[in-house]
Order: sequence, then C-alpha cells, then structure tokens
Amino acid sequence: MSHKIRIIILSILLILIFLFFYKVLLSEKTYQPRSMIGKSVPEFSMENFKDINRRITNQDFSTKEIVVLNFWASWCVPCRIEHPMLNELKKKYKLFLVGINYKDNASNAKKFLNELGDPFDAIGSDSKGEVAIHFGAYGIPETYVIKKNKIVFRHIGPLNQDVVKAIVALK
Amino acid sequence: MIGTFGNSSLIIALLLNFYLLFSYSLNFFKKKNNFQKVRYLNFLVTVFVFLAFILLLWSFAISDFSNTAVYQNSHSQKPLFYKISGSWGNHEGSMVLFILILAIFSSLFSFSGVRDNLKYLTIFFQNILILFFLIFLIFTSNPFDVIRPTPAEGLGLNPILQDPLLSIHPPFLYVGYVGFSIIFSFALAGLYLEEFTKLWSKQASLWIVIAWTFLTVGIGLGSIWAYYELGWGGFWFWDPVENASLVPWLASTALLHSNITSMKTEKFFSWTALLAILTFTTSLLGTFLVRSGILNSVHAFANDPDRGLYILAVIMIISFFAFLIFILKFPKSPMPNVLIFWSRGSFILINNCFMIFFLVVVMVGTLYPIFLDALFEKSISVGPNYYNALLAPFMIVLLWFMAHGPLLEWYKFNKQSLIKAILQISFLTLVSSIIIFFYLKDFSLLLFLGVFFSIYLIIAVIIDVFKQKIISKNLARNISHFGFGILVFSIFINAYLSKEINVPIKVGQTIKQNAIEIQFKNILKSQGKNFEEIIGNFLIKDGTRAFELSPSLRKYLQPVQVTSETSIKSTLFGDYYLAINLSEFEGDKIMIRFYHKPLMLWIWISISLIIFGGLIRIFRKQNES
Repeated sequence: MSHKIRIIILSILLILIFLFFYKVLLSEKTYQPRSMIGKSVPEFSMENFKDINRRITNQDFSTKEIVVLNFWASWCVPCRIEHPMLNELKKKYKLFLVGINYKDNASNAKKFLNELGDPFDAIGSDSKGEVAIHFGAYGIPETYVIKKNKIVFRHIGPLNQDVVKAIVALK
Repeated sequence: MIGTFGNSSLIIALLLNFYLLFSYSLNFFKKKNNFQKVRYLNFLVTVFVFLAFILLLWSFAISDFSNTAVYQNSHSQKPLFYKISGSWGNHEGSMVLFILILAIFSSLFSFSGVRDNLKYLTIFFQNILILFFLIFLIFTSNPFDVIRPTPAEGLGLNPILQDPLLSIHPPFLYVGYVGFSIIFSFALAGLYLEEFTKLWSKQASLWIVIAWTFLTVGIGLGSIWAYYELGWGGFWFWDPVENASLVPWLASTALLHSNITSMKTEKFFSWTALLAILTFTTSLLGTFLVRSGILNSVHAFANDPDRGLYILAVIMIISFFAFLIFILKFPKSPMPNVLIFWSRGSFILINNCFMIFFLVVVMVGTLYPIFLDALFEKSISVGPNYYNALLAPFMIVLLWFMAHGPLLEWYKFNKQSLIKAILQISFLTLVSSIIIFFYLKDFSLLLFLGVFFSIYLIIAVIIDVFKQKIISKNLARNISHFGFGILVFSIFINAYLSKEINVPIKVGQTIKQNAIEIQFKNILKSQGKNFEEIIGNFLIKDGTRAFELSPSLRKYLQPVQVTSETSIKSTLFGDYYLAINLSEFEGDKIMIRFYHKPLMLWIWISISLIIFGGLIRIFRKQNES
C-alpha cells in the first residue's frame, strides 16, 4: 500500500471519529436541551429541603395535573431576577411549584427565600447536581413544566413575562 | 492578587514555550543546534507551570474565595488536607496538574542519556503537547478566574470525595497517563530521525515502566476507594471512567512487553512504535471522555461541550500527525519480522494480541452505548455480563501463554523441555486444583478453568524461580506475573463465591441465612468534625467466627449530603462487608446489605505485587544506567 493510500485511510478514519464524537458532544443526549420534551419525568430522590425526615421523589408529583419545576441556587444571580416571576406563577396563577436547589448551601438558600419569598410547594436539594443531570439541565436557572408526568415545556435561563405567559397557557 | 500572579506565570510559561518551539524549529531547518537554549527554556516552562500550581494550592489552602475554582470547590471548614487535594479535584486544577506533569517529564527527559538530536526533538514534541494544553487551560478553563464581589464562603466539596485515597489516586493516574506522553514524543522523535532501534527500546524501557507503574497504582487506589468508600460492594464496576483508565493500561502493558521483544530480538519496531502512539492517544481519549461530560459516572466533571470540542480537536490533530509520521517513517527492523512460533518473542506477541483484543472489548463496551444513544436515540446498558463473557475465556488462554512465554528461549526451540514443563506444571496444577475444589465444594466449568489456569501460571512462575541460579534474576517479571496469577485466581473465586444478603432489619432482630447470622444490637449517634453520624452495631456470626460490624450513615453539613459508610471485617480468606442503605426505611426497620467477599484482601495484595514488580524494574534500570 502506498503512503498516499495509507494517509487517506488515516484521514478518513480520524474524520469519522471526530464527526462521531462531535455529534455525541452536540447531541441532545449529552444532558442537553429538547430531548426531554415529551418524555416521562426521570426518576429521582432528593433530600427534602423543608422536611428533613422525608425525601422528595418523582412519585410525589406523578398524580398532579401540572407541575412547574425550577432549578435554582442562592449563588445564581439570574435566579434573583426571575424569582418575582416564580412568585407570580404561584400567587396569581396558583400553579404547583417544585424548586430544585442546585449545588447550594442550605443556610444561604434559606436566606435567599426569606428575602425574596418562597413560592415553592416543595423543595429538593440537589447537592451533587445529579438530578440536574437526569433532567439534562443545561445550567441554572432552568424551568420545566410537567403535565401528567410528561415534560411538555422547558426554558433555559431566567423566566420573563413571555415565558410566564407560555407556561400559563399550558394550564 | 494570587490570581494575578498565577495568571502571569501561566502566560509567561506559554510565551516561553512558544519561544522554545519557534527557536528550535528555526535552528532545526537551518540544521544548526541550539540545544543548550532549548534545555533552559524547557526548565523555565516547568518552573513557571510549577509556580502556577503552587499558587493554586495556596489559594485553596487559604480559602481564597475570590478565585472561582476555590469558591466552587472548597469551603473554609474543610480540613486542610482536603482543601489542598480539592485543588486537583476539579477540572481547572487538574488541568494545571496535567500540564505540570507534561513539563516535569520533559525536564527529566533532558537528563537522560539519549543522543542530543533525538533528545531535543523529543523535548520539542513534548512542548507541542504543552502548548496545546496551556492554550486550553488559559483560554477555556482558567484556574485563576476571579469572582467579584468575593463570596464569604465556598460551595464545599462533595463529601464522598473527602477520602484520603480518593485525594491521592488522581495524581498517580495522571503521572501514569501523562507519563506516556514522553514515550509518545520519544517514539515520534525516534521515527522522524529514523532512530527507532534496539537502543531506542533500551532507553524507552525505563520511562515505559515508570508510567505503567504509576498508572497501575492509580487504578489500584481508585479501585480500593470504590470498594471502601462508595459502598457498592465491589472493586470494579466497569464504570466508563474506570474503563477509560483501563484502556491505556492494556495498551501500555502490551507496549511494555513488545518493547522487550524489540530490545531482545531487534524485531517488531513498527509494532512497538504503534503501541507507543496508541497508549498516549488512548490516555488522551480517556481525558476527553471524562472532561467533556459525555460519560455519566461518579467521576463526571462539569460538562462543557466547548471544552470537549477543544480537547477533541487537539486529540485529532495530535493523532493525525503522530500516525502520519508513523506512516511516512515506518520503522524497518534490521531482522526480518519472523519468529519461531515456539519462542518467547512470539508468545509475547500472542499475548499482545490478547491485550489489544481486551482493549477493543473495553472500548466498544464503553463507546457503543454512547454511539447508539447519539445516533439512534436508543439506550442500552453494557454491564459486567458483557465483559465477563468476552474477557474471561480469553483470559484463560492468555494465562497459559503467560505461563510458558518466560520458560521458552528467544531464538531456539527445545521441544523436549517444553513438553516436560507442560507435564510438570499440569500435574502440580491439577493436584492443587483438586484440593482447592474439594475445599470449595462448588463447581462450574468456567470457575474451574479460571482457577486451573491461574494456578498454572503461579506454578510456572515458581518453577521458573527455582530454575534460576540467582533468585534475583528476572525478579521483577516473576513477581509481577506471580501477582497477576493471584489476581486472576482471586477475581474468579470472588466473582463466583460471593454471597449477598439484602434484608430489612430492626433493633434486636436476628436474621439467619445459611451459615451466616446477623444480629442488629443497637443504634448510636455521634458527632464528627463536619458531619453527624448514626451508627448501627451488628453482631455477625459465620460458623464459629463471631465479630461486630458498625456501618453508619453520615450527614455532612456542608453541603448537606448523606453518605453510607460501610463497615468491613477483612480476613485472609474473605471480607465481611455491611452497609446501611440510604433512605430506605420501612417503619422501624432499615435496609442493610451484607456481603461475604472471598479473597478480597488477596486482590489488593496481588495488585501490590504487580506494582512491586514494576518498582523493582525501575530501580534496576536506574542502576544499570
């Protein structure tokens, strides 16, 4: 085999490997957006932020008609910005809100809620970020809407009035 | 302040490195040499990377939360030891360590007795690697990024990571992984200058053994950590990240042996060169898989596709040029690449093929699920069954070749002595196996074959030792092979004869299964430095043996997390292992997991023997040189 052919084979092989990993990297399955839409809520079990003796699992909400699930943390600045919108979803639209406190310090998180209000019906603490991986969370804040145990909507980044409208429209 | 210094040292290191590459290339094409200058520049790069590393350690030690990496991974209440180990427990810090080891190997290599042309071309290639990773570090994963305003407290470190073994296993793995970079650079230099000869093999062998030994220690420590800390009741889980370290280990074990063949017979240089390239590229691939967030495992680092893309591109570029040099400068052996089948060289090559087969099996098992998931959105999980089914039968054949390889000669074949050896070893093995199975009272074909052939290897090694006039001759090989025999033996026994009991139990209750009796005596509460603990006291009876085990649940305060601490009683014949399941309470009962794992201790002893063999070789080589 001449050098040329070997080099061509090598190049093709490496390009294929590159494309494969590139596809994997950018694919939805690398815990990235969209893929969870239409799928069932992944199984999880977390420490309960409000009641240490009980844990929060996906089973707790499986019977709920509609659940808004929000990943947040006290150290996350955009979470402060979106917090009034969460309060609005609770107070004005009476939605069932679940907060997932992502890689946070419990006392800071409590201070955050005391200061800005606590719109959540339940809070789980995802101290290792595992639940976020199961959900394919891209970063925080991030919000999911779950309808009859299926994820129907997802928003990456802080909520705004348009997104609030879109969420309310799902009711 | 520290951040500014740290950043500056990294940038100075980058500039120096760039200058080194530029100056070397210029002189290379002018056919002049400026080796002294390259040597100094190379040292300076190492010094500045080292400085950056020390500054990072310092930031962690004093809990400088204005540093983003410290803020995200440390906490002021953490013991000093874990503060410091936290510096390489995250992506940014571990990349600094990665580059530091690249640079240290480069500097150490400048002291080797290799001919100047070859030596400095190796250092040039090594500095190209340093360049790629310094750029990656500074521009995508800067460890000295500042956060403003400075937070009052850090976000802590995962408590499961607060373990001495865990803290020290990554540096060992890194010295292993990254150590292969110098062999890679040396191989490329050897190929390029067409000096891939017996002398090359001789000079490379010390570096190969050093990197291989560190990698083995790293994998061993990781495995011990998984067994004692993770509480999964085993020592190897075919976790994708474990596999990512096993792949270069297999490649390097093949390299170690093929290099010996090249050194002794002046044959198969191309194969040795290919393995040298393969070992480092698979190490890089492992780094990529772990860092890109493609793999989901206990080891998962923060996932960031951009970083992944950069490392991927770097691996492709490095691999392309490495294989290009390999193709263009394909090394020719002075001897024809033909061996007598019944010779030590061909047995080593046969086992090389097995290693590569194992490598492919592990790689496919790790990557195929990712492949299916990404391209066809199908999820499958590849578990121990796949690996056991594919690896175990071939492992048995490997053991036979491993037993006989060292007993054969390099150049000539003595049929009678081979037949004599086979008969002798087979007889002794059969007798030992019968005794063992009489004691075990358990039989299955694969277990029998596994036990038979591992004893076969052990006995072959013992016979070989006794045949030598001087015991210390081939001591390194004999100890490592002996260790490997014991390892396979223990793994087979462990896999087939482990017992597991999963039951709910309440205080005062006693549970009996076969010969084992578990009595739940009481519960105690205690307070650790940064955790609260609930300890369960159990009395275990196995036949005439009785002892206490006290597994516990720990609640760490920062960040709040509950971990299950296992309690283990080790004996020479097996471990008794008890753990409380997290968060599975049924009324006043708790769920416990009890395991009896035969010969666990021997798995650690055998890995230590394999490592010990490597160490002996390193110190021998040093004396020789």
